[in-house]
Amino acid sequence: MRKIYIQAAEQISMQQPLSEEWMQQPVWHQEAFVQAINPAFRDYMAPNEARRMGNLMKRALVTTLKVLSDTGIEYPDAIITGTCLGSLDYTERLLSAMVENGEEALSPTYFMQSTHNTVGSALAIYTKTHGYNTTYSHGCISFDLTILDAWMQMQLGHIRTALVGGHDEMVESYFRLLQNTGYVGSPGMVPCGEVAMSMMLTTDEHADNLCELAGISVGQCPDIDIHQVDVIMTGVNGQPANDALYQQLLAQWPEKPQIQYKHLFGENFTTSALGLYAAAHCLKQGSIPSFMLTADSVPLEHELRNILFVNCQGDSTNYILLKAV
Amino acid sequence: MEPIYITGCGIISAIGVGKEATLAALQSGTTGIGLMKYLPSCHIDLPVGEVQLSNHEMMQLLGISYDKRLTRTALMGRIALREALQEAGLEKKDLRTVPFISATTVGGMDQREAYYAQEPDCDALHASIATHHCGTCTEMIAEPFGPFASLATVSTACSSATNAIITAANMLRCGLADIVIAGGAECLTKFHLNGFNALMILDHEQCRPFDRDRAGLNLGEGAAYLVLESVRSIEQRGVTPLARLSGYGNACDAFHQTASSPNGDGAYHAMQEALQSAGLTPADIDYINAHGTGTINNDASESHAIQRLFGSNLPPVSSTKSFTGHTTSASGSIEAVFCLLALRHQFLPPNINWHNPMEDGIIPITQESKANCQKPKTNCHILSNAFGFGGNDSSIILSALP
Repeated sequence: MRKIYIQAAEQISMQQPLSEEWMQQPVWHQEAFVQAINPAFRDYMAPNEARRMGNLMKRALVTTLKVLSDTGIEYPDAIITGTCLGSLDYTERLLSAMVENGEEALSPTYFMQSTHNTVGSALAIYTKTHGYNTTYSHGCISFDLTILDAWMQMQLGHIRTALVGGHDEMVESYFRLLQNTGYVGSPGMVPCGEVAMSMMLTTDEHADNLCELAGISVGQCPDIDIHQVDVIMTGVNGQPANDALYQQLLAQWPEKPQIQYKHLFGENFTTSALGLYAAAHCLKQGSIPSFMLTADSVPLEHELRNILFVNCQGDSTNYILLKAV
Repeated sequence: MEPIYITGCGIISAIGVGKEATLAALQSGTTGIGLMKYLPSCHIDLPVGEVQLSNHEMMQLLGISYDKRLTRTALMGRIALREALQEAGLEKKDLRTVPFISATTVGGMDQREAYYAQEPDCDALHASIATHHCGTCTEMIAEPFGPFASLATVSTACSSATNAIITAANMLRCGLADIVIAGGAECLTKFHLNGFNALMILDHEQCRPFDRDRAGLNLGEGAAYLVLESVRSIEQRGVTPLARLSGYGNACDAFHQTASSPNGDGAYHAMQEALQSAGLTPADIDYINAHGTGTINNDASESHAIQRLFGSNLPPVSSTKSFTGHTTSASGSIEAVFCLLALRHQFLPPNINWHNPMEDGIIPITQESKANCQKPKTNCHILSNAFGFGGNDSSIILSALP
């Protein structure tokens, strides 16, 4: 097995953008739907470029450019993107134009950027990266699948570096629909948020690596010795059906400290990307902010060596093991 | 490298339900592109490659009672998946260890369009139908057959199904599974018909891939799945494979969101990587099933990429989109099944509607000219291309069994 590392990870979400300030001073939100806090896009791209892109694209591009500059990697071997709803804003605009104005005289602009691979391919176009490029869109495991793909290709020796990301935006009208289904926006739930997270995976040892990506298991029981696990990170979000999935699982390991991230970053399909980002930075820092522990968790009493990240969707559970380096 | 076998496949498209009907249409040169019958669009002047069944008829074919949640994508997907499982001899109990990877882009958009106007005050059922995403389609397709070991959805526009096959191949090579089922499904929607129409790349006549007078693509719909299996598994199950997936490549053109580069860099790299991973040279390829959409841009760019790689030793090339229209996210697996049929039945699918050579373009094989070509030999290799928006370009190589 080749060793794989997370070399850098950057986010734009409901926390301070492109920063780990949330580890000291998190922003707490009360609203049911919270848009991401945008950075000053002009610091990263020309105004005419910014005007041509929607929020989803701008955030994905800026987190990517920051990761590329963090790592000094100009052309990653692969760009692998996870998004559930893709270019939601443009899709909704095209749909509403079609309903309001009929099928005549539609502008192609929104359609051109409405496919789910718009983000992944635009990142390649912007950075002139010709390597492997794909996009996964499968509900709340969309991002996990990008990690699996990169992991497989690194094990097979196809690639050495991979830019992976999880990106989802939200618009008010679609939030209302999702609220109607009970997925977000119920009383007692964390806010519905927006996600932009880019991460560099590498098979090379670097002094600045955040942590090791020691294992991944999608939909199957992991080949991991649970006794060796220090901390379990879960996706509890205050929605009873969702939290029950984790409680059922965690009941097997009551002695393990449990941490959460959705109360910081909100719920949206690819929020697991922000969870993995947070876990990687905790391992780099060597400690976990106290506000990440769940209410009924036992405390962590020794040095932080690893975090088992767990993401449940329906009856399928994904595990990612991160280790300190 | 460990070989990857194909032990079953299933298909539905404008030229028929199932492999038998598909084979007959391909061999006789009968297109499925025609007048719009099922899509409730005002653009009735645009020819399309529709599956010749209503949603209701597809439900009957599947033996299920009317269910308004089911998208047309999911219905076509189920029909194709059922055939693939049948041929591979896989039953429900076998699928617990089998990942299912499906591809789609417009997903449940057909339902969304139908309910969009009433959305602001819809009930929970309609809200859930309205918020179907790509993954929901995969779950709906899998539902009656599974549980599967895991589900995944790939969405890279028109190369989605080919990329689903590539992910499946990597899973097998990594030893994460012994059998993986992969492919794609996509129905026609007003959303993408209007999108392509706004881009002005839809031909108002039958599409003419690689022809001088080509004027765009026709949209189509359908679904197809392949059962990919390791050598260990076929020996254990005692099944006879149909062919091998011997190579695959994925590269990004990194040129433009909706246009291919003039040199076809992405296409060139994808094909080259597929050859390299198969341990083959261009001279080993006996037939190329081109992406060949019929747009001015694609066919010029793809011609250049193929000519760059194959030089003067060009094997027979054709685009079968003249039969089915462009089945977008499903095209990669639909055309992979066409290639399997060509391998198994030793024929070359013609590029129908072709009349005049384009400047500097490749000359595809037609119903008339294919008689002059050497038929695929017993030990032959077929290259199949699928290119998507944003330059997500992928190629696979299917090989006959020795």
